[in-house]
Amino acid sequence: MNGYLNTVRAEVFKLRHKRRSYVIAGLLWILLPTLLLVVGWILQTRVAGTFADEGINVTEVVQQVASPIAIARNSLLILGNLSPSLLIIIVALTAALLIGEERTQNMWKTVLTAQPNRGAVLSGKITALMLFLGVLLAGSLVASIVFGGLGTLFLPTTFGAGWGELVGLYALQWAFGLSATLFAFLLIWLFRSLPLGIISIFFLPAVLEGGYTFYRTVVGFDRLNRFNALLEALQLRNTVQELPRYFFTTNLYAPSREPISVIADLFGAQLSSDDLGPLSNLLTVDLDRAALVMAVYALLFGVILFWSFTRSDVT
Amino acid sequence: MSAISVTQLSKRYRRSYAVDNVSFTVGAGEVVGFLGPNGAGKTTTLRMLAGLIRPSSGEARILGAGVPGPGLLQVGTMIEEPSFYPYLSGYDNLRYTTLLHGGVGEARIREVLAFVRMEAAADKKLSAYSQGMRQRLGLARALLWRPKVLLLDEPTNGLDPVGIAEIRENLRLVAQQGVTVLISSHILAEIEKLVERVLVIEKGRLLFDGPLHQLTRQLSATEITYELTATDETALHNALTGYGYEVTAAETGLSVQVPQGEADALLSRLAGDDVKVREARRKEESLESAYLRLVRQDSRPS
Repeated sequence: MNGYLNTVRAEVFKLRHKRRSYVIAGLLWILLPTLLLVVGWILQTRVAGTFADEGINVTEVVQQVASPIAIARNSLLILGNLSPSLLIIIVALTAALLIGEERTQNMWKTVLTAQPNRGAVLSGKITALMLFLGVLLAGSLVASIVFGGLGTLFLPTTFGAGWGELVGLYALQWAFGLSATLFAFLLIWLFRSLPLGIISIFFLPAVLEGGYTFYRTVVGFDRLNRFNALLEALQLRNTVQELPRYFFTTNLYAPSREPISVIADLFGAQLSSDDLGPLSNLLTVDLDRAALVMAVYALLFGVILFWSFTRSDVT
Repeated sequence: MSAISVTQLSKRYRRSYAVDNVSFTVGAGEVVGFLGPNGAGKTTTLRMLAGLIRPSSGEARILGAGVPGPGLLQVGTMIEEPSFYPYLSGYDNLRYTTLLHGGVGEARIREVLAFVRMEAAADKKLSAYSQGMRQRLGLARALLWRPKVLLLDEPTNGLDPVGIAEIRENLRLVAQQGVTVLISSHILAEIEKLVERVLVIEKGRLLFDGPLHQLTRQLSATEITYELTATDETALHNALTGYGYEVTAAETGLSVQVPQGEADALLSRLAGDDVKVREARRKEESLESAYLRLVRQDSRPS
């Protein structure tokens, strides 16, 4: 237990002394809310006439973009809806600092002789990254209140309601970050190359999942054909059709994507299964199921990572 | 109880052995040199002792506990060139290590920095450090938690003579405090003033384990070097090579290594062959050359 706590303290010390930590925090806590405030201000002062002509309530739109609750919601949306997502970028860069640079700086021999309990070292590093992610997300909520609060001084916005649910989504997104953390640690550790590890974290899930979607689009599973006959024979067709519901990224970003319905509702949009084509059953991914899937991913990545980390030679 | 105990330790990489069935013990408070040329297996052995790599077979124990294990918390290491986080200062690099290890106060950091005469540069970023400063900081880091055992892998590597002398002096003071030290080097002269006992390793196998003076005596006892000059050097050369000896040019005349049993008869043998020897000097073999001969021959002394 001491080794674990000592590692957490040491890694937090390192994170505090790395400029990269402050750049990431600045991006999330200052740049993002500022941009949303600017968008709100532009909507209010420059685009208002256009919206008014189309019969949309501009004040309501600004409220959904630049109010404190909207900044918090939109920050969460942005966190998981870019490609590669802001969340995975943060996790990958921090994992690179905590586990990748030990190799590039030849520091493993120092780390593992100062604290020879490898299980404690690895769990301490994972905890440090999760703490950092927690601080970033909590800080993002606080920044939303601060910047959104400032916005109420010159924009027609109010603090807004629904904070409890949103805080819950932030907490869930943080918890889901554990799978992403283990995934990032695993790739950086196994590939033994920091650039390759980071690139894989960004693109490996997208390539695998995109490959599946491409295959599904081209081959299709709706009618029996020569491509899917074997799967049918093995009674796997339904299972394969269900695969997107178990995709890593689909489930990882489920809490971040949850507020999309709020935005869709605002503009009167309705998302239907047909719009998503081969990924149509993504709409049926709910947070409980996503939590379960993420727990399985975390277990899988964690077991492989711990097994490999505690047995590998450090040369 | 031995501070370090190694029993039939081997490390195999694919088909070749980096360390092959090595056994030795180091008693508490002993300062032992671990000698061998580059690639002999010194670093691999030290890495196995430090728990960084797993042996293919055999066992290593430190302070009675198996490796890897909690005993390693009482071990200070400096394995190969010391590495640091370049974005942290020297002080912060040590602070990070103390946090990781636990149980070390900030006062101790200042103490070890003073011991290696690095207080003035402690707040500079590592990127501004010279090789010598990094070596000294590496030694400071190895001493942070007052280890009972020190594993040092070529701690003077890349240092100038002044730096070597400083590190040697530091290590002498550490040894006086009763710390067990296993220090590797590929240059005997670097550690011969520090250690009384040496282990010699070559191609993964332990060639010698014993007191330093025994290494010299045993080696010089096997062969004796003569420097000979003769009125006819060609005749001398032909005679010596004719006896099957390896002859090299010396400062004056020729140098030849003769098995001890044949040394006394050499001069009369030459006289019998009508080679007129003007001068014959029996040369004392230096420790360094004895060591070099040992590892080159790759054979165990009797």
